[in-house]
Amino acid sequence: MAEYQTLTNLGPIEIQQYQQNRFPCFFIDLIEEAVPGKSARGYKNFTYNEWFFPAHFEDEPNVPGFVQIETMAQVFLMTFLTIPENKGKKAAAVTSKAQFKKKIVPGDKLEIKAELYSYSRGLARGKSVGYLNGEVTCSVELTVAIPDIMNSFIPKAD
Amino acid sequence: MSNLEKYIEAFTTTFDIKPEQTSGLKYQDIEAWDSVGHMGLVAAIEDAFEIMLDADDIVDLSSFEKGQEILKKYNVEM
Repeated sequence: MAEYQTLTNLGPIEIQQYQQNRFPCFFIDLIEEAVPGKSARGYKNFTYNEWFFPAHFEDEPNVPGFVQIETMAQVFLMTFLTIPENKGKKAAAVTSKAQFKKKIVPGDKLEIKAELYSYSRGLARGKSVGYLNGEVTCSVELTVAIPDIMNSFIPKAD
Repeated sequence: MSNLEKYIEAFTTTFDIKPEQTSGLKYQDIEAWDSVGHMGLVAAIEDAFEIMLDADDIVDLSSFEKGQEILKKYNVEM
Protein backbone atom coordinates (compact mmCIF):
# COMPACT_ATOMS: atom_id res chain seq x y z
CA MET A 1 0.00 0.00 0.00
CA ALA A 2 1.21 3.52 -0.78
CA GLU A 3 2.61 5.67 2.03
CA TYR A 4 0.61 8.74 3.00
CA GLN A 5 1.29 11.63 5.31
CA THR A 6 0.54 11.00 9.00
CA LEU A 7 -2.23 13.21 10.38
CA THR A 8 -2.11 14.59 13.91
CA ASN A 9 -4.48 16.31 16.34
CA LEU A 10 -7.68 16.18 14.30
CA GLY A 11 -10.57 17.76 16.20
CA PRO A 12 -14.26 16.93 15.71
CA ILE A 13 -14.76 19.29 12.76
CA GLU A 14 -11.78 17.85 10.89
CA ILE A 15 -12.70 14.25 11.75
CA GLN A 16 -16.15 14.82 10.25
CA GLN A 17 -14.51 15.68 6.95
CA TYR A 18 -13.25 12.10 6.83
CA GLN A 19 -16.35 10.21 8.05
CA GLN A 20 -20.10 10.79 7.86
CA ASN A 21 -21.02 10.07 11.49
CA ARG A 22 -22.79 13.03 13.10
CA PHE A 23 -24.35 13.92 16.47
CA PRO A 24 -25.90 12.08 18.26
CA CYS A 25 -23.92 9.20 16.74
CA PHE A 26 -20.52 10.84 16.58
CA PHE A 27 -18.22 9.69 19.37
CA ILE A 28 -14.67 10.96 18.95
CA ASP A 29 -13.22 14.06 20.62
CA LEU A 30 -9.74 13.95 19.13
CA ILE A 31 -7.66 11.85 16.80
CA GLU A 32 -4.15 12.27 18.13
CA GLU A 33 -2.57 10.43 15.23
CA ALA A 34 -3.78 8.70 12.09
CA VAL A 35 -1.40 6.84 9.82
CA PRO A 36 -3.44 6.30 6.64
CA GLY A 37 -3.60 2.61 5.71
CA LYS A 38 -2.10 1.55 9.05
CA SER A 39 -3.37 2.85 12.39
CA ALA A 40 -5.19 5.53 14.37
CA ARG A 41 -5.15 6.72 17.96
CA GLY A 42 -7.72 8.95 19.63
CA TYR A 43 -10.01 9.46 22.60
CA LYS A 44 -13.51 10.22 23.80
CA ASN A 45 -14.37 11.96 27.08
CA PHE A 46 -17.67 10.71 28.47
CA THR A 47 -19.44 13.38 30.53
CA TYR A 48 -22.77 13.03 32.29
CA ASN A 49 -24.28 15.25 29.57
CA GLU A 50 -24.17 12.37 27.07
CA TRP A 51 -27.70 11.67 25.80
CA PHE A 52 -27.65 8.00 26.82
CA PHE A 53 -26.61 8.28 30.47
CA PRO A 54 -30.03 9.22 31.89
CA ALA A 55 -31.46 6.13 30.19
CA HIS A 56 -28.60 3.69 30.77
CA PHE A 57 -29.15 3.64 33.71
CA GLU A 58 -30.92 6.22 35.82
CA ASP A 59 -29.38 4.97 39.08
CA GLU A 60 -26.10 3.68 37.62
CA PRO A 61 -25.06 5.57 34.48
CA ASN A 62 -22.59 3.72 32.26
CA VAL A 63 -21.72 3.66 28.57
CA PRO A 64 -23.86 1.15 26.63
CA GLY A 65 -21.99 -1.59 24.78
CA PHE A 66 -23.19 -0.41 21.37
CA VAL A 67 -21.76 3.05 22.05
CA GLN A 68 -18.42 1.50 23.05
CA ILE A 69 -18.36 -0.51 19.81
CA GLU A 70 -19.33 2.53 17.75
CA THR A 71 -16.68 4.69 19.44
CA MET A 72 -13.96 2.13 18.76
CA ALA A 73 -15.25 1.65 15.20
CA GLN A 74 -15.12 5.39 14.50
CA VAL A 75 -11.44 5.50 15.47
CA PHE A 76 -10.89 2.42 13.28
CA LEU A 77 -12.52 4.25 10.34
CA MET A 78 -9.72 6.80 10.54
CA THR A 79 -7.21 4.10 9.54
CA PHE A 80 -8.63 3.86 6.02
CA LEU A 81 -10.94 6.85 5.44
CA THR A 82 -7.77 8.94 5.71
CA ILE A 83 -6.50 7.31 2.50
CA PRO A 84 -7.06 10.27 0.13
CA GLU A 85 -9.45 8.51 -2.30
CA ASN A 86 -11.64 7.30 0.61
CA LYS A 87 -12.00 10.64 2.38
CA GLY A 88 -15.60 11.40 3.38
CA LYS A 89 -17.07 8.16 2.08
CA LYS A 90 -19.86 6.34 3.90
CA ALA A 91 -18.72 3.18 5.69
CA ALA A 92 -20.82 0.24 6.84
CA ALA A 93 -19.94 -2.36 9.46
CA VAL A 94 -20.05 -5.92 8.16
CA THR A 95 -18.89 -7.92 11.19
CA SER A 96 -17.89 -7.06 14.74
CA LYS A 97 -16.68 -9.21 17.60
CA ALA A 98 -16.51 -7.23 20.82
CA GLN A 99 -15.32 -7.78 24.37
CA PHE A 100 -16.18 -5.62 27.39
CA LYS A 101 -14.06 -5.88 30.51
CA LYS A 102 -14.97 -2.88 32.64
CA LYS A 103 -17.78 -0.36 33.04
CA ILE A 104 -17.21 3.09 31.57
CA VAL A 105 -18.87 5.80 33.65
CA PRO A 106 -19.33 9.61 33.50
CA GLY A 107 -15.97 11.34 33.81
CA ASP A 108 -14.01 8.56 32.10
CA LYS A 109 -11.65 9.23 29.22
CA LEU A 110 -11.61 6.30 26.79
CA GLU A 111 -8.38 6.13 24.83
CA ILE A 112 -8.54 4.05 21.67
CA LYS A 113 -5.90 2.48 19.48
CA ALA A 114 -6.95 1.03 16.13
CA GLU A 115 -4.96 -1.11 13.77
CA LEU A 116 -5.79 -1.88 10.14
CA TYR A 117 -4.94 -5.49 9.26
CA SER A 118 -5.91 -5.20 5.61
CA TYR A 119 -7.64 -2.88 3.18
CA SER A 120 -8.49 -3.81 -0.35
CA ARG A 121 -11.19 -2.74 -2.81
CA GLY A 122 -13.40 -1.10 -0.23
CA LEU A 123 -13.15 -3.75 2.48
CA ALA A 124 -11.24 -3.09 5.70
CA ARG A 125 -10.38 -5.54 8.46
CA GLY A 126 -8.80 -4.71 11.77
CA LYS A 127 -9.02 -4.22 15.50
CA SER A 128 -9.71 -1.41 17.93
CA VAL A 129 -8.86 -1.47 21.64
CA GLY A 130 -10.17 0.89 24.34
CA TYR A 131 -8.17 1.82 27.45
CA LEU A 132 -9.04 3.53 30.73
CA ASN A 133 -5.93 4.77 32.53
CA GLY A 134 -3.79 2.46 30.42
CA GLU A 135 -5.85 -0.65 31.18
CA VAL A 136 -7.71 -2.52 28.44
CA THR A 137 -11.43 -1.86 28.92
CA CYS A 138 -12.99 -3.03 25.67
CA SER A 139 -11.98 -4.26 22.24
CA VAL A 140 -13.54 -5.11 18.92
CA GLU A 141 -12.47 -6.92 15.78
CA LEU A 142 -14.10 -5.33 12.76
CA THR A 143 -14.82 -5.78 9.10
CA VAL A 144 -16.06 -2.55 7.54
CA ALA A 145 -17.01 -1.90 3.93
CA ILE A 146 -17.11 1.23 1.85
CA PRO A 147 -20.16 0.21 -0.19
CA ASP A 148 -19.49 2.78 -2.95
CA ILE A 149 -16.18 1.11 -3.70
CA MET A 150 -16.83 -2.54 -2.81
CA ASN A 151 -20.02 -2.73 -4.86
CA SER A 152 -18.14 -1.84 -8.02
CA PHE A 153 -16.36 -5.21 -7.76
CA ILE A 154 -19.42 -7.39 -7.23
CA PRO A 155 -20.72 -9.71 -9.98
CA LYS A 156 -23.83 -8.35 -11.64
CA ALA A 157 -27.09 -10.27 -11.34
CA ASP A 158 -27.91 -12.40 -14.44
CA MET B 1 -0.49 -29.10 -5.24
CA SER B 2 -1.91 -28.69 -8.77
CA ASN B 3 -3.45 -25.42 -9.97
CA LEU B 4 -6.89 -27.02 -9.89
CA GLU B 5 -6.39 -28.13 -6.29
CA LYS B 6 -5.23 -24.64 -5.34
CA TYR B 7 -8.24 -23.13 -7.09
CA ILE B 8 -10.66 -25.48 -5.33
CA GLU B 9 -8.98 -24.76 -2.02
CA ALA B 10 -9.57 -21.02 -2.48
CA PHE B 11 -13.32 -21.78 -2.60
CA THR B 12 -13.42 -24.38 0.18
CA THR B 13 -11.38 -22.25 2.59
CA THR B 14 -13.17 -18.98 1.86
CA PHE B 15 -16.70 -20.38 1.96
CA ASP B 16 -16.17 -23.31 4.35
CA ILE B 17 -17.58 -25.82 1.88
CA LYS B 18 -16.51 -29.26 0.64
CA PRO B 19 -14.60 -29.71 -2.66
CA GLU B 20 -17.58 -31.56 -4.17
CA GLN B 21 -19.73 -28.45 -3.67
CA THR B 22 -17.58 -26.27 -5.92
CA SER B 23 -18.60 -27.57 -9.35
CA GLY B 24 -21.37 -25.41 -10.80
CA LEU B 25 -21.27 -23.01 -7.86
CA LYS B 26 -22.43 -19.47 -8.69
CA TYR B 27 -22.30 -16.11 -6.91
CA GLN B 28 -25.02 -15.97 -4.23
CA ASP B 29 -25.82 -19.72 -4.56
CA ILE B 30 -24.71 -20.07 -0.94
CA GLU B 31 -24.93 -17.62 1.95
CA ALA B 32 -21.15 -17.34 2.26
CA TRP B 33 -20.69 -16.18 -1.35
CA ASP B 34 -22.13 -12.71 -0.85
CA SER B 35 -20.45 -9.37 -1.59
CA VAL B 36 -18.02 -9.66 1.33
CA GLY B 37 -17.38 -13.34 0.60
CA HIS B 38 -16.60 -12.39 -2.99
CA MET B 39 -13.81 -10.08 -1.79
CA GLY B 40 -12.44 -12.92 0.35
CA LEU B 41 -12.51 -15.31 -2.61
CA VAL B 42 -10.69 -12.83 -4.85
CA ALA B 43 -8.01 -12.33 -2.18
CA ALA B 44 -7.63 -16.12 -1.76
CA ILE B 45 -7.26 -16.67 -5.52
CA GLU B 46 -4.77 -13.80 -5.81
CA ASP B 47 -2.71 -15.20 -2.94
CA ALA B 48 -2.83 -18.77 -4.30
CA PHE B 49 -1.55 -17.81 -7.75
CA GLU B 50 0.42 -14.66 -6.84
CA ILE B 51 -1.53 -12.53 -9.30
CA MET B 52 -3.57 -9.33 -9.16
CA LEU B 53 -6.94 -9.58 -10.89
CA ASP B 54 -8.23 -6.66 -12.97
CA ALA B 55 -11.43 -4.99 -11.79
CA ASP B 56 -13.40 -6.26 -14.81
CA ASP B 57 -12.30 -9.84 -14.10
CA ILE B 58 -13.34 -9.55 -10.45
CA VAL B 59 -16.82 -8.49 -11.56
CA ASP B 60 -16.95 -11.30 -14.15
CA LEU B 61 -15.92 -13.96 -11.64
CA SER B 62 -19.50 -15.04 -11.06
CA SER B 63 -19.09 -18.82 -10.93
CA PHE B 64 -16.56 -21.56 -10.22
CA GLU B 65 -16.24 -22.34 -13.93
CA LYS B 66 -16.06 -18.67 -15.00
CA GLY B 67 -13.13 -18.19 -12.64
CA GLN B 68 -11.22 -21.00 -14.36
CA GLU B 69 -11.76 -19.26 -17.69
CA ILE B 70 -10.59 -15.92 -16.33
CA LEU B 71 -7.43 -17.42 -14.82
CA LYS B 72 -6.28 -18.57 -18.28
CA LYS B 73 -5.69 -14.87 -19.05
CA TYR B 74 -3.19 -14.89 -16.19
CA ASN B 75 -1.44 -18.00 -17.55
CA VAL B 76 -2.98 -20.22 -14.89
CA GLU B 77 -3.98 -23.42 -16.66
CA MET B 78 -5.95 -26.15 -14.85
